Amino acid sequence: MRAYAIPLLALAIPLVANPYTQFVVNLMLVYVLVAVGFNLVLGNLGQLAFANTALFGIGAYCAAMLMVHAGWPFWAVILPAGLAGAAAGFLASVTALRGIRVYYLAIVTLAFGELLRWSYIHGERATGGTDGLAVPRADFFGFALDSETATFYVFLLIVSVMVKAVSNLLRSKIGRAIVAIRDNELVTASLAIPTGRYIVLAFTLSGFVVGVAGSLFAVLIGRVNPESFGLTELILHFAMVLVGGLGSLFGSVLGAVALTALPEFFRRFPGLYEMFFGGLLIVFLLVQPRGLSALAARWWPALRDRYYRED
Amino acid sequence: MFALQLALSGLAQGAIYALVALSICVVYRATTVVNFGHGDLVMAGAFVVYVLVVLAGLPFIASAVLAVALLFLLGVLIEVGLIERIKTGPHIGFALMCIAIGYLLRGIVRGVWGREVLPMPRVFDFAPVMFGDLVVTADALIIFLAVGILLMLFFGLFYRTSAGRVMQAVCQSERGASLVGINVRAFHGVMWGVGAALGAVGGALVAPLTLLHPGLGASFLIKGFAAMTLGGFGSLGGAVVGGLLLGLAEQWIGGYVSTKLIDITAYLVIILVLALRPSGLFGRAIAERV
Repeated sequence: MRAYAIPLLALAIPLVANPYTQFVVNLMLVYVLVAVGFNLVLGNLGQLAFANTALFGIGAYCAAMLMVHAGWPFWAVILPAGLAGAAAGFLASVTALRGIRVYYLAIVTLAFGELLRWSYIHGERATGGTDGLAVPRADFFGFALDSETATFYVFLLIVSVMVKAVSNLLRSKIGRAIVAIRDNELVTASLAIPTGRYIVLAFTLSGFVVGVAGSLFAVLIGRVNPESFGLTELILHFAMVLVGGLGSLFGSVLGAVALTALPEFFRRFPGLYEMFFGGLLIVFLLVQPRGLSALAARWWPALRDRYYRED
Repeated sequence: MFALQLALSGLAQGAIYALVALSICVVYRATTVVNFGHGDLVMAGAFVVYVLVVLAGLPFIASAVLAVALLFLLGVLIEVGLIERIKTGPHIGFALMCIAIGYLLRGIVRGVWGREVLPMPRVFDFAPVMFGDLVVTADALIIFLAVGILLMLFFGLFYRTSAGRVMQAVCQSERGASLVGINVRAFHGVMWGVGAALGAVGGALVAPLTLLHPGLGASFLIKGFAAMTLGGFGSLGGAVVGGLLLGLAEQWIGGYVSTKLIDITAYLVIILVLALRPSGLFGRAIAERV
């Protein structure tokens, strides 16, 4: 079975889904992109970063502001949202490279994310402050996204293309350099690979993917507000990548599909959400640090992480 | 006068930040793990004090001592039960583990207290002391006193006693220390405990001053990092000075520019320090050679 069978099989989902389950499936597609983008930095580069919700938020806000204030159609805002995310990823990583890399990438991205959330809240005129912005009905080259099913087909197309692009990227020279940096930065640098530049590149690419995911999120939910992009959201992103499998593209898809529907169940009990995801991360770190994809690879060897050495 | 008054409350805030930064720094220097869940330990300390004072009716000092002891135990347990076990994995595992612990603590606190914000009854109800026109509140005095004594104890212990020399040895080289017969594993556990306990002191001091809510941890974490960045990452004295300066900067920026900016002073400090002087005030420049 080849990997492209997955989106082809997914085409049949609307036949069995009702509008609500279809909405959840669409949300899964958004999170697939989020996890794939985050995994580039967290899993492949092996670098802790807290900016993922910020990048997600930038994409969403960029899309929403262009649609609301400038009246652009949905298809035209996807690329700018990705570019805005990429620019943010670039800025955060360039600043961080000046300190002790391992820690400052994490600290600067943490500060950066909260700084952005502050500017969403205080930039009332552009961002709508704490209320956020309502996103108008979207259309994709004349094809109106007026039902969950229509949205699904458009999202499936975009997400499949992006995932394929990331998959190609990971097999290229860039992808190998990024993984080499994770395994040993010093050795990588001694092979005349400019490690600093590749770290920035990984953050930028990750920002692009997550930014695009943000634009899809804005359209799917129909509203962007600062609360959607805070620390509560961040633990979900961490959990998706780790539960799926650090550094595994298939794992990101698996993690996103497995966890997207869960937060809905915890809404009624305060604290349960954080307890569950904190506990889930601890259990996986102790018991199955390579995530679900490593488990799946036991039965389906094609999924084995090519770069990971069991030792 | 206004500037001086602001400076005073800034230093009181800053003393707390200094404590938080120092406690992150202690764990980092001793074990090379940066605890990204440390803010939530501080928050947990504040909550334990709240529970003991308000629900159990204990006096404040007794509650604070109990909370610090409890958090020391929690720190040791975290190291022995969780951090030690993933030692063989990739380094990013530590960071993820710390984040997970932080969220778990936050969830537990939120689960017990619900969504409300909790005010604690005032503990130090003395009249403020006046120096000319300068008003020194009882809270500020207590904070200065407590943090000052604690810092003197800590640095005295670290630099003047033989136990401190053991700590310095392990900080310099784990391998070397274990070769001369120091029990490095036990040491790591104890240092996690000390870090958590120092953080809990910060939490206990903050508890009567601010409204308590489970999200407090994240802001402590960022302020602690900002103080460490300013002082020089990994420098113990730098963390303290950085904390005090951060407190001053917050109050002055809030007083003279806009109170909106108080919330983001810490982020701006991190980004400015990295842009202008990445090694901070007391940090040594890091040479990364290949």
